[in-house]
Amino acid sequence: MVVDRDGRGVGEVVVAAVPADAAPGPLTPPKPAVMDQRNREFQPRVLVVGVGASVDFPNNDTVSHQVYSFSPAKRFQLPLYKGQLHPPVTFDKPGLVVLGCNIHDAMVGYIYVTDAPYFGITAPEGGLTLKDLRKGDYRLVIWGPYIADAPASLVRNVHIEADEPTTARVQLSLALRARPEPRPRRRDWEY
Amino acid sequence: MPSARRLLPWVLVFWTAGAAAQDRVTVSGDLDLRWVQASGVPAYLNGGLGLLRFDPDHEGIRLGRAFLAPNWRATDIVSVHAVIDAYDDYHSRNAVDLSEFYLDVRPYPTGPIRWRARLGAFFMPVSLENRGIGWTSVYLITPSAVNTWIGEEFRTIGAEVEARWLGASSGYLGEIAVVAAAYGWNDPAGVLLAERGFGLSDRPSTLFGGLGRPPIEFYHEIDRKPGYYGGLSWKHHDWLEVRALRYDNHADPGAETDAGGYAWRTRFYSLGASVEPSEHWTLIAQYLNGNTAVGPDGNQQFYMRFHADFALASYEWARERFTVRYDNFDTNQVSGFFFGPPSDETGHSWTFAWSHQHGEHWQFVAEWLRVASVFPPRIALAESAAQVESQFQLAARYRFRLAW
Repeated sequence: MVVDRDGRGVGEVVVAAVPADAAPGPLTPPKPAVMDQRNREFQPRVLVVGVGASVDFPNNDTVSHQVYSFSPAKRFQLPLYKGQLHPPVTFDKPGLVVLGCNIHDAMVGYIYVTDAPYFGITAPEGGLTLKDLRKGDYRLVIWGPYIADAPASLVRNVHIEADEPTTARVQLSLALRARPEPRPRRRDWEY
Repeated sequence: MPSARRLLPWVLVFWTAGAAAQDRVTVSGDLDLRWVQASGVPAYLNGGLGLLRFDPDHEGIRLGRAFLAPNWRATDIVSVHAVIDAYDDYHSRNAVDLSEFYLDVRPYPTGPIRWRARLGAFFMPVSLENRGIGWTSVYLITPSAVNTWIGEEFRTIGAEVEARWLGASSGYLGEIAVVAAAYGWNDPAGVLLAERGFGLSDRPSTLFGGLGRPPIEFYHEIDRKPGYYGGLSWKHHDWLEVRALRYDNHADPGAETDAGGYAWRTRFYSLGASVEPSEHWTLIAQYLNGNTAVGPDGNQQFYMRFHADFALASYEWARERFTVRYDNFDTNQVSGFFFGPPSDETGHSWTFAWSHQHGEHWQFVAEWLRVASVFPPRIALAESAAQVESQFQLAARYRFRLAW
């Protein structure tokens, strides 16, 4: 559970559970994922995938987009398209990949590529349940685009017993950087 | 540039040629019909010195504007953009004309700085109010005095380069941009401000037409010296945007054409901010201050200072938007004796607008505007220098976007 400094849940937060006593790495082959584009937004805005995952970028918007990233974890460009024109992109290095559209500067999306075996994204109410973790000690790594707290200050160490639910509550100490839900805009008539 | 008038057919050829590709060509269009009721003196467009677009002799059903805005994505990073306008108030000039025509180059960012260049004829990036296609306001029918004037007398005919720092990659939810442009063919800019002062009108000039009777044309190169502007913009999170611009057309105020057209040395700076403090509210303010001079002796023959500002509040909910704006403006002729009564204008106005979005294509807007002003040159037209003008408009706009 991730809550802001006033105790309200924070959605779109990546939580990754890194084993403290084992080499990191996925347990199973990474699952492919989809980063959609609708209403001049990336949907979801925040995606977390395991290292080696392939991500499809369909454009289901009414207008064409040009997706790019210049993040060190993955540099790529998808020339102007609509629909399902381009093959999936493979993310083979851990790190944060910030997505943009060369036509619509306001479009920003995030793909968090992790080598942790367990990960997920919090629901709008701030909750996330990770299942089937093996017994052991873990570091919970937390990242969100609107979180102003330093990532290191949000790391939590937890101990997991087999078949025993463990909860962790992470409260942010700084205010979020922006409203989690940007206002809807009638962008179509604007430049 | 009269030969450039022949460009128009080429625009049409370009955007039909690329029609096979997916979204390579788009055409946005707007047909804007009005019902108008106005009070006050004859408008400048009709030969008077009124500040509004319409007047009591030009009321009733009117064509607000009709335009097509084709956009041709020639390559992945180069597109051609045009705005083709039609108005029904051209008395002797083109019924159809261009108001923008430019090449837009946007290379893919390879780092946090994104470069963009525009080449051709386009509006300068100064307004936070007129963000719609072809200098249309998103909030009201009639733009503020500041942005009315920019739309009337200015077009960048030249090249503009922008460097924009995209904060998202560094964890900052915002952008900072620096923009600079060099241009020509805008030497007469300033003449309308001296003749009429600031006005309130959603009738921007087109590239090959003029405004007024007889029409003044704004897009001529007279002194063969380029002008420039430089600006800064800052977007912070999703609720604050600030824009600053310094403009200087660098005209030689002594230059004139054989036909009697003068170069006006016009300089100004503009500062504006837009704040969206909550889901529904938008607050915008802009301040512009500058001066203009004409005559072979530099500042001696005619020199005028000017200033205009406005504050706007807009509330949007569901398909409705309500907007109120207060405008304040003045001009002050410091020297110059050959124009009769001095061009010293003072004025302020209130504008209220309610707009309703009906489905995908229709927008209905009701706007009421009242402006009180004092402008001594009206005495030469046997009018009182002080006037109160008002204008009520109902607009029905049909808007569409086609893509190939």
